[in-house]
Amino acid sequence: MSFDVPDDHRYLESHEWVRTDDDTARVGITDFAQDELGDVVFVELPAEGDDLTAGEGFGVVESIKAVSDIYAPVSGTVTAVNEALFDRPELVNEDPFGEGWMLDVTLADESELDDLLGADAYRDRIA
Amino acid sequence: MTTYSQASWTDEDAERYEPLLSEKASERVDIEDSPLPEELTRDSLELPAPAEPELARHYTRLSQMNYGVESGPFPLGSCTMKYNPSFTEDVAALPAAAVHPDRPDRTVQGTLGLSHRLQEYLGRIGGMDAVTLQPPAGAAGEFTGIRIAKAHHRHNDDERSEVVIPDSAHGTNFATAAMAGYDVVELPSGEDGRVDIDALDAAVGEETAALMLTNPNTLGLFERDIERIADIVHDAGGLLYYDGANLNALLGRARPGDMGFDVMHYNVHKTFATPHGGGGPGAGPVGVTEGLAPFLPDPHVRRTDGGYEYYRPDHSIGKVHGYYGNWPVLVKTFAYIARLGDSGLADASAKAVLNANYLAEQVPYEVPFGPFHHEFVASAGEQDAADVAKGMLDHGVHPPTTKWPEIVDEALMTEPTEGESRRSLDQLAAAFEAVHSEDDGTLASAPRRTAAGRIDQVSAARSPRLSWQALDSDD
Amino acid sequence: MTSPYAPHTDAETEAMLDAVGVDDIEALFDVPQSVAFDGEFGIPEHGEREVRREAAGLLGRNDDLTEFLGRGHYTHYVPSVVDDLSSRSEFLTSYTQYQPEVAQGFLQALFEYQSMLVELTGLDVANCSMYDEATALGEAATLAQRVRSVSGETILVPDHLREGKREVLANYADGPGLAIESYPMADGQTDVDALAGTIDGDVAMVYAETPTVRGVIEERLADVGALADDHDALFCLGSDPVALALLERPADVGADVVVGDAASLGTGTAYGFGLGMFVTRETYLRQVPGRLVGASEDSEGRRAYTLTLQTREQHIRKERATSNICTNQSWVALRTAIHAAWLGPDGLVDLAEDCVTRPRDLAARFDDVTGVQAPVHDGHHFREFVARTDRPARAVVEDLAAAGYAVHAVGEHLIQVSATEVTAEAEDGLVGAITEVVK
Repeated sequence: MSFDVPDDHRYLESHEWVRTDDDTARVGITDFAQDELGDVVFVELPAEGDDLTAGEGFGVVESIKAVSDIYAPVSGTVTAVNEALFDRPELVNEDPFGEGWMLDVTLADESELDDLLGADAYRDRIA
Repeated sequence: MTTYSQASWTDEDAERYEPLLSEKASERVDIEDSPLPEELTRDSLELPAPAEPELARHYTRLSQMNYGVESGPFPLGSCTMKYNPSFTEDVAALPAAAVHPDRPDRTVQGTLGLSHRLQEYLGRIGGMDAVTLQPPAGAAGEFTGIRIAKAHHRHNDDERSEVVIPDSAHGTNFATAAMAGYDVVELPSGEDGRVDIDALDAAVGEETAALMLTNPNTLGLFERDIERIADIVHDAGGLLYYDGANLNALLGRARPGDMGFDVMHYNVHKTFATPHGGGGPGAGPVGVTEGLAPFLPDPHVRRTDGGYEYYRPDHSIGKVHGYYGNWPVLVKTFAYIARLGDSGLADASAKAVLNANYLAEQVPYEVPFGPFHHEFVASAGEQDAADVAKGMLDHGVHPPTTKWPEIVDEALMTEPTEGESRRSLDQLAAAFEAVHSEDDGTLASAPRRTAAGRIDQVSAARSPRLSWQALDSDD
Repeated sequence: MTSPYAPHTDAETEAMLDAVGVDDIEALFDVPQSVAFDGEFGIPEHGEREVRREAAGLLGRNDDLTEFLGRGHYTHYVPSVVDDLSSRSEFLTSYTQYQPEVAQGFLQALFEYQSMLVELTGLDVANCSMYDEATALGEAATLAQRVRSVSGETILVPDHLREGKREVLANYADGPGLAIESYPMADGQTDVDALAGTIDGDVAMVYAETPTVRGVIEERLADVGALADDHDALFCLGSDPVALALLERPADVGADVVVGDAASLGTGTAYGFGLGMFVTRETYLRQVPGRLVGASEDSEGRRAYTLTLQTREQHIRKERATSNICTNQSWVALRTAIHAAWLGPDGLVDLAEDCVTRPRDLAARFDDVTGVQAPVHDGHHFREFVARTDRPARAVVEDLAAAGYAVHAVGEHLIQVSATEVTAEAEDGLVGAITEVVK
């Protein structure tokens, strides 16, 4: 099976992605992760204004039979939460890199991005 | 091959099966002229109001849309769905058993006497010095046992922070340890499916309050190194907890107390044939060694001159149930043990182990670990274990536990129990065989012969509707 | 003997051993010699009839008393259909509904039970049972601790709380580090002013009961609810389904969680065997302990039922589960639902009204007896009342037992009497006996 791994994103070993736009970073989970989980039924996310620390858990995504923590790829303050996921968690399955995004955070330390996997490295990770 | 079709009623509008009671005969009454002032009462009450014939038919239909041990084979691994002898119901229903829990000891000597007898029996069966009957289920027994361990360490001014649990253990073990305020240290299984001694050595230390162990474990494997395991835990000052879920494998062959366990729970439904009632009630008596007896829940029964009395053990953890636990279930337990006695209990384990081994020989799926006892875990391999289960439903058998323990890929955890004859084991094997040769598409659309078709778990969880009121508000 | 519940003939056993490839069943046990058990339990076997006689003989040593006992474990008349229908083996011998397609019947019955509790409480979500009222209270306390908006670490309970219930709560509270403190009662009810003085920002949950353990109906629950709310604490209310049929709806007095013993419907006196109700607001749905049955659809597009939101539970979330509960009291809940449906709303309200008038009338008759004052508490009563006796209560209780009646001693000169329809015909005798024993 082949999974979508966009080149312009960076990745965590634990299958979260981050995409930066100026000093804002958008965060979600990968196509591979959503496939592993199966049908997502519930997403728990922090609130706007909460602070994330790179590498630490910030939320939970649940399928019928599994619960996964979601880890922060970068540190920063949450500026937007994808509230659509509360009513339509299936967006995580349908469009993990698009409408299934989870948070926007202000990027506190751009150098953290260097610690993340590039698309090729992540492809190797899930191969 | 057995053909099977579960009874089912489809409502005339074809949108539901048996209608809800509320859809059949609902009635709202206003609370008026009550003997209480109006400000203390509710305004009205709306509930079903079926006439008794309708009520009887409703629940009879519901029962027919349900599957129990008396319906057919029920090899649900780890759950020990054995036949529940009818007579134990009559024993539990004896009028003299129905007393109020606040009666003074001396007016309920019969109840205390039966309790004492059961404490004794369970102690001998488990090799334990003292047994409390109070915990109302296996998980409550775990909680009681771990609370006892905590009280013991506290009593010694040796508060500890961790409980060590193998990755193959029941989920209740992890949840119990956390509820009691412990951090869980998960122990990876060794390659043979048993406790990895080196990993245990590394995990156990001065923070270890207890190791919780199931033996035989959830793969049905006896922990052959149990004495070494006990030494490692005890040398570190920890206690050894026995999860009694699989005791039906060992009756008369080995006792937790003799293996070095300090505290254990018994699952009376699994080992002593009390009916599970579609989810409960159970009972989870807890046995302890002499050193831990002072920590048992309050009250405990002891013999006096010519009778019995309750007393509070010196360092009791207090109560774990509002009264004395699930009393009727305990009476059934007593009746079962008294019926079988030593030899019958030993034979039950023998036949349970024989049945598991015989069935494992017949199933077309690989069984990666052994030698196993009362249950085995097969792998569905390339098939989806959950689909295998749905396929088996169509053959008039209840499927095994699926996808657990996780150390076996697509696990089919199978426990036929002693209650199945060779013929019904062959029927079970035929069901496995039939499903094994079915293609994925067919299995994905199974079951077809059950009261309802495959149920959409995803939409149930995405938009929870947990009452008929929630259904109404959607319409 | 061989187990009478293992169907194997000797020939079948032999054939099966052959198939497995061993000579002897013992060869299948992989138990090291050093831990093998070669002793005897010393438990004799019996025929079925013998066990019944033996148990009847043992239990026959219980004194035959007419029980006017309550204080948390109540008895109402249970109609025969409850035993009849709940004893159907498809219900009684089934397991937790992990394969919903073959378990629609029980799932629907539990869904109906949950719905009845929703109606009785006015809250949104009922689980399909806890063990009993005390453990349900323990679970409510840990829920309060998990709910993020609540910051406190103290659970406030009435000082009249049954000691046993308080001890169960203490066992649940210890793990998460919660402290239990009492607030005073006045005349059998919550002393709301004293509660206002006790409650502070460190309180995670306030627990109250109606009727109270003294049988008094609480009259200021809305004030208790408001106090809890003002201090950002949860309000947990203890009650039972019969009382709830008549009393103010918990939702209307600000209750966040309702716990209680629901076995007062469906199961008669059974030595404290209970059924823990647990009902709460939708806000706390993800923190609910225990199993939930939900409606969904099957492949035919028809409404069907299934256990749902199982990721809260121990078998999936392990140490992060909302509780360790697995086996619960489902079958007891089935019985409660059948009984409630048999009564219907009219019958249930009638029963609840009887629980108000019966103790009132009986207390008045007690009060007419020289040496007895009843009821001790001023308020409205439900099922039971406390009476003051000039003679020491212990002596009164003992002498009543000798006359064939059981009541509670709850203070040096206080007895408590619980009266429901099942002891209706014995009330005259009780009044006669108390008249004699207080002389």
